[in-house]
Amino acid sequence: MTMLQHAILVLVIPLVSAGVIALFLRRAGGIAAAVSVAAATAIAAIALILAIHGERFEASCEWLRLGNFALSIGIKFDDLAALMLAIVGVVGLCIHVFSLGYMHDDEAKARYFGGLSIFMFSMIGITLADNLFMMFIFWELVGFSSYLLIGHWYERRSASDAAKKAFIVNRVGDFGFLLGIIMCYWSNHTVNLSELGSGHLVYSRLIPLLLFCGAVGKSAQLPLQVWLPDAMEGPTPISALIHAATMVAAGIYMLCRINVLMVPDALTVIMWVGTATALYAALCAIVQSDIKKVLAYSTLSQLGYMVAAFGLGSLASTHDVGGMTHTIVIAAGVGAAMFHLTTHAFFKALLFLGSGSVIHACHHEQNIFRMGGLAKKMPLTFWTFTIGVAAIAGLPFFSGFYSKDAILHLAQEKNTAVFVLLVLTAVLTSFYMVRMWKLVFLGAPRSDQAEHAHEGGLTLTMPLIVLAVLSICGGYTTHEGTGLIYGHLFSGVLSQIPHAEGAGVFIMSLGILAVGAGIALALYKPAATDALAEKSPGLFTALVALRSSFDSVYDYYVTNVQQRFAMLLNFIEQIFLAGLIVRGFAGVVGLFGLGARALHVGKLNVYVYWFFGGVAVLWLFAIGVL
Amino acid sequence: MLHSYLVLSALVFAIGFFGVLLRRNTLIIFMGLELMLVASTLALVAFSRFNGTIGGDIFVFFILTVAAAEVAVGLAIIVALFRKRQTIEVDELDSLKN
Amino acid sequence: MGLFLFNFFALLTVICAVGVVVNKNTVNAAMCFMLCLVGVAGLFVLLEAYLLAFVLLLVYAGAVAALFLFIVMLLDTHSQPRPVRRFALVAATIAAALLAVAVLTFHQQPKLAMAAASTGASGASLKDYAYQLFTTYLLPVQIIGFLLLIAMLGVIVLSRKIEATEGAK
Repeated sequence: MTMLQHAILVLVIPLVSAGVIALFLRRAGGIAAAVSVAAATAIAAIALILAIHGERFEASCEWLRLGNFALSIGIKFDDLAALMLAIVGVVGLCIHVFSLGYMHDDEAKARYFGGLSIFMFSMIGITLADNLFMMFIFWELVGFSSYLLIGHWYERRSASDAAKKAFIVNRVGDFGFLLGIIMCYWSNHTVNLSELGSGHLVYSRLIPLLLFCGAVGKSAQLPLQVWLPDAMEGPTPISALIHAATMVAAGIYMLCRINVLMVPDALTVIMWVGTATALYAALCAIVQSDIKKVLAYSTLSQLGYMVAAFGLGSLASTHDVGGMTHTIVIAAGVGAAMFHLTTHAFFKALLFLGSGSVIHACHHEQNIFRMGGLAKKMPLTFWTFTIGVAAIAGLPFFSGFYSKDAILHLAQEKNTAVFVLLVLTAVLTSFYMVRMWKLVFLGAPRSDQAEHAHEGGLTLTMPLIVLAVLSICGGYTTHEGTGLIYGHLFSGVLSQIPHAEGAGVFIMSLGILAVGAGIALALYKPAATDALAEKSPGLFTALVALRSSFDSVYDYYVTNVQQRFAMLLNFIEQIFLAGLIVRGFAGVVGLFGLGARALHVGKLNVYVYWFFGGVAVLWLFAIGVL
Repeated sequence: MLHSYLVLSALVFAIGFFGVLLRRNTLIIFMGLELMLVASTLALVAFSRFNGTIGGDIFVFFILTVAAAEVAVGLAIIVALFRKRQTIEVDELDSLKN
Repeated sequence: MGLFLFNFFALLTVICAVGVVVNKNTVNAAMCFMLCLVGVAGLFVLLEAYLLAFVLLLVYAGAVAALFLFIVMLLDTHSQPRPVRRFALVAATIAAALLAVAVLTFHQQPKLAMAAASTGASGASLKDYAYQLFTTYLLPVQIIGFLLLIAMLGVIVLSRKIEATEGAK
């Protein structure tokens, strides 16, 4: 089988799986789970085969043609796509296996696994897409799968609300995305990514910013980040897969794909949006009491890092548009962002799955102030979780250290203000992660569920181990882009990662870690209430208010502005359109009917008069008067 | 002269038409219709005579036949109507009203 | 002589036509109709369409008008009251307008004021007439035959007994 056939297969398998589950296996949860996991295994295997084989190719076929406009479906399989596909495949497989154990007692397992398969299909579609329209189609499909899966327990009002919110906020971003695609097509007459890369482009500030809107929605940047914390209403494996490792990373992936369209001004905007998101999310995460919400804000923060990394890519040579220097500098942003995406996928999925294991063990208790002492009760989870925390905090020799270091190095070179903010965010990151780690695992159990917690089965622990290994080894790369586990596979992307020289960065990372972790360890004793709330309530309430500020603004806008406008339109429609025009027309026709009815007198003579009238008209026609 | 024949024909036609408009007895209305037909046959024959063609004469033949058939069927209808409604006044035959 | 005869028959026709239309008694109207047909037959003879004159008398006056008389006497109707004066005026106006228009049209056409054609009427010869009937105008003859058949069938259907038709209702 050719590699192209492999690629088509990896796209089609999850679709077939979802179709089979939707059509035949609605009630057979166990079989549906097996089908879905088999599909995920196949996807992971094929993804690795494709990556290892090393052939990079492109293929497309025309799907729709409307006059001059042609929409084609195609596959662009370069190093970037190979890397993303491998991440999606491996992490997806881990999560599928984890779901087997986690959702074992759920009644709607078939729907869940069907949704997972559809999600895999859509995500792989985004990964392999070779033109922006196709990417948009799968973009929307991913949003739909997310809606399905967040609202898995839809009987809960909060879950269905969260699903709606996610979809709607995504739609807002997608609107900008679509505008960007249309503008791009209008200016350049093509949306094919390879063609955009090779030919002469019309550079404008608007196109990349509009396309970035899509990333703002999908990757939950400011101001559209409000949906991600609420999306934690879905099952934990979903949070791991969609809202940590893959879907939210789709925005970053898309940015990397369209890097040929970037101009310095757009990159500046992107950089600042990313930095602001990172800082904001880190501040919000400090005061969360739900274990999944902490991880959600942590994801937001790391996504901000990735976006900022991408945006940092070109600030050095603003006067060198179109030259060689420009290209390399942008690619550095791509390299750093993709590298952090990769390591983040591994350790964030690990953290989420670990929290899932904890939640499962504590019988769906999610408040960290009611856990504690789980280190002794669940050692495997404890150690893998610790590896995850170390990775995200940037402990040297873990994967997170290398990727975060790359970003900080880039920031240090390019923009000092951003660098300072990112360093502060790193401190906060280690602070709240260690806080959570300490409150959950150390100390004495603070509730009955924590008392009786025990390790889950094999399906819950195997993925944790695999991801822990990847979290450690995933960061080892060299200048040429080879790595310990990567080999020569993704050199196109990984060679673009900026590497810092010398021990300075080592010391900086240790310093960040020491400050953040040290304060956290000192501050938070395992207690039932938040120590920060006790020590400085003002700061605490300020941070809590920060979290809900965006939501209240949106709420105000929707209820006051949008709702009133909608009611005005409804009024216009009722009175004017429905009443006057529609019923008016009907009334006029009715009048005609009444008039015609009056003609039916029943008397023959009258009919003869009318007949004569008709003859007279005809005669007038004949002599030419009419 | 042709002109006089045509005026005569028009006059008889108008009288027949007057009867159709005016009278309420169905049979009289029918006779008015026949009068109109006869007037048109007169005109046709006059034209045929004054142009020297024969087509008008032949056509009168057909008109005659059609008129005969029409009268037969029409009167059958009137008789059936009378049987049902016991009247042949058009004023009273207005069940199609409204 | 021709003019006198023309005037005579024309006057006969017109007076009888008026008689048909204004007569209160239906039987009188039918008799007037017959007489009117006689007048028209006379005019046909003046126009040298001899066959047609006789056919008119035989078929129209003899069969159709007689049928009218039969039906009039079959349907035992009482005499009609005079029609309403208002309607009469309107109808008369319309008929007069029709007549006026016709006459005006004829006046405007100079060709219509011609005298009798120099050649004789071609319809005078029975042989020619029949010849045309059976060659050039054969199709209409056949269709007329068919029409008569249909009319006959229709009459038979229509004059079935009331019980049968009432049962169908």
